[in-house]
Amino acid sequence: MSQTVEQVQGVIQKRYAAGFTTDIESDMMRPGLDEEIVAMISAKKNEPEWMLEWRLKAYRHWLTMPTPNWAHLKIPAIDFQALHYYASPKQKNRPKSLDEVDPKLLETFDRLGVPLHERARLAGVAVDAVFDSVSVGTTFQKELKEAGVIFCSMSEALQEHPELVREYIGSVVPHTDNYFAALNSAVFSDGSFVYLPKDTICPMELSTYFRINARDTGQFERTLIIAEPGSKVSYLEGCTAPMRDENQLHAAVVELVALEKAQIKYSTVQNWYPGDENGKGGIYNFVTKRGDCRGDDSRISWTQVETGSAITWKYPSCIMRGERSAGEFYSVALTHNHQQADTGTKMIHLGKDSTSKIISKGISAGRSNNSYRGLVRVAKKATNVRNYTQCDSLLIGKTCGAHTFPYIEAANASAKVEHEATTSRIGEDQLFYCRSRGLDEEEAVALIVDGFCKEVFKELPMEFAVEAKALLEISLEGSVG
Amino acid sequence: MSVLAEKLVTETAAKAHSGADDHQSIHDWGRQRLMQHGFPDLKTEEWKYTPLRVLEKREFQDQPGTATTLPSWPVEGVVLHFDHGILSIDPATLPEGVKLTPTPSDALNKKDYDQIYGQREGAFAWLNLAQFQQAWHLEITGEQTVIIATTTSGAFEAQVHPRMVIDIASNASLNLIEYQRDLGQGLINGTCEINVAEGAKVEHLICRQNTESVWIQRTDVDVAKDADYRVVAFDQGGRLTRHDLKVHVKGSGANGEIDGLVLLNGRQHVDWHTEIAHCVGQTNSREAFRFLADGSSVGVLNGRIHIHADSDDSHSDLNTANLLLSDDARINIKPELEIYSEEVTASHGATIGQLDDRSLFYMQSRGLSEAESLALLKYGFAAEPMMQIQTPEIRDWVLGQLKEVL
Repeated sequence: MSQTVEQVQGVIQKRYAAGFTTDIESDMMRPGLDEEIVAMISAKKNEPEWMLEWRLKAYRHWLTMPTPNWAHLKIPAIDFQALHYYASPKQKNRPKSLDEVDPKLLETFDRLGVPLHERARLAGVAVDAVFDSVSVGTTFQKELKEAGVIFCSMSEALQEHPELVREYIGSVVPHTDNYFAALNSAVFSDGSFVYLPKDTICPMELSTYFRINARDTGQFERTLIIAEPGSKVSYLEGCTAPMRDENQLHAAVVELVALEKAQIKYSTVQNWYPGDENGKGGIYNFVTKRGDCRGDDSRISWTQVETGSAITWKYPSCIMRGERSAGEFYSVALTHNHQQADTGTKMIHLGKDSTSKIISKGISAGRSNNSYRGLVRVAKKATNVRNYTQCDSLLIGKTCGAHTFPYIEAANASAKVEHEATTSRIGEDQLFYCRSRGLDEEEAVALIVDGFCKEVFKELPMEFAVEAKALLEISLEGSVG
Repeated sequence: MSVLAEKLVTETAAKAHSGADDHQSIHDWGRQRLMQHGFPDLKTEEWKYTPLRVLEKREFQDQPGTATTLPSWPVEGVVLHFDHGILSIDPATLPEGVKLTPTPSDALNKKDYDQIYGQREGAFAWLNLAQFQQAWHLEITGEQTVIIATTTSGAFEAQVHPRMVIDIASNASLNLIEYQRDLGQGLINGTCEINVAEGAKVEHLICRQNTESVWIQRTDVDVAKDADYRVVAFDQGGRLTRHDLKVHVKGSGANGEIDGLVLLNGRQHVDWHTEIAHCVGQTNSREAFRFLADGSSVGVLNGRIHIHADSDDSHSDLNTANLLLSDDARINIKPELEIYSEEVTASHGATIGQLDDRSLFYMQSRGLSEAESLALLKYGFAAEPMMQIQTPEIRDWVLGQLKEVL
């Protein structure tokens, strides 16, 4: 076996494909974090007064909070005063259409395979592209407008639809929620905003692509999706960053609101730079994602494929407030080299007859540590709740770790909660069988891993599923042994 | 100083009685660490489901209780009766193969308690170290049955901190019954270390039934090469019970097994924190735990399987099934896996549900009353972990008690 391993390691040493840097002039604010910087970000975006007040409240609260240390992660101390909290590609005026966007920027997204321009039509996916702290453009706005869907950057939403933003922002993830959510609330620079009116089924997939380019910056975006009764949307999110030796910070907040009978499907393929094979560099990914099934019969589904980031701290959650509401979480988290991931979900059942399903697949290779941390809570008044959780871990290599920390809290006697977890390695017998059928070791591992993750991949929109599978194969290279 | 520290950290009984404290340095160590780390609160991860309000409200008084009596035992063995924390027999009269002596200070001082007890989460172990009156050392050779009974009467309102180390010699075999019945309103904060030497075998039964007392217990078990340690807990709760049971499987060929049944009612609160650590490879473990929660009780289980690096060929499984029997009862469970080795299999399963309506209907259609059907279903569910008791006489004794309760 070791010979094949060497073969695999020797032949394929593909680099992080999205690790290039775009040489573009940036408009950067001075490093450091204080009330002045918060006010400067707010002023730059020409925000209403209440927004600045909200940001300052969050900042003041953040100052009182200790850094969280409960996760199964080794997080080096972050110097928040050394970071730039705002960086945007230099443009004279805000481009009115994609034709006015700097070609270098378009080229960047083109290299990343994000369909912003002419290919956009073929892909049929509306994209909001965020470069460092600002949104550079949103496609298909006209078509979406005709359908009644609002899909724009957060900055635009604050100008055009301040009443909607004011009503919903912070209503799912309040600024007091946690350390990184408080930080994000104070300094978030852009993000996506989606609003679906009553009974609207979004005519196409919506997508946001996040790119960190500038050095020593942090990206703090905030996404808000509001689905009015009877509406339905599928939203995709992708992210990459250049390869740098320094660590960079990404602290995002995503809030989803699903009203009566509304459905939101949120898919993520996270491919931030994971650092090199010695653990140098990489993105610290501290994200708060939460969906609120506010209306009866509403449904929120999270699907995530996490292959990037040096450190991942992320728990996309659902609060099932409405009766018969449903929450789902499908996740594949892969860690390699020195990556660390502590990820999972929270399913909070408040409504009667609500259901939730959690399928989590963790794959650890190299010297990485991969933890699943999940909470299923059944409130006292939530009758006939049903939850099913399955979390499986796969270990590839002798120096990695796979951990499971599920919290199950039941306070209603009619609840049915089931949880299963297994940890194992790729079996010699499975490998032997695949090889006897003519596959080489690398193909065999890819096939077994693909099979291991199948339940999650099938939940992804097709384009993402193909990308996710390819990403997993690349990320696993050199890990067999 | 916190309310709890003020209440619980006092002059040790030994010093108070005789004016001299043989274990002064170790007591100081415990007290110093306790003051440094403090008592846990709901923000302490290991204590997030177990508030200590009951303890904070309690006033402790050192009044002697009335002598308690013991039940008849299913097997013959050496009975060590700690009545209100005081050993009621003369250790010199024990038969060969069972040796009970006070632990000398220098033996106690050798341990790295910082590493074993940690910080705030181990506050009660530190409290025990600061306050224990007598540290006993029990040595077992040959084939033995030992019953350690700790009982108090209804008048008991004091705090006691029993401390014991049990060494089971190589290839010895011990059938150990820990019988705990506390009818008072005090605090019992016990610490027990069990060292199972190479090739030894231990069958351990913990049988606990308390009322209004607060019982906090810590058991650390080390299992050496080819040794076998199996524990079955039959816990009928108390006002507040917390048991930390840590089994360290330290030698190849060793086996560790935990089975537990917790019956809860009224406003009882029982918190079990178990850990099975595989420190080397070629080791096996298994854990099965069941809670039946009625009334407005709270049941907590934190079951951790920890497989250390370079422990290939370790196999572990944890299974917990729980029944919520009333609208006001709560169950919080957290089965954890922490795996640092590749060639292992580890799994856990957890369910929370209620009694099956169809089974209940079926039994009633066969002529049983509703109450009988309920009792039978509960018994069927509860008896399973008890079936792991290997000695038939002890198993029947426990099942008999179970039938009576249900």
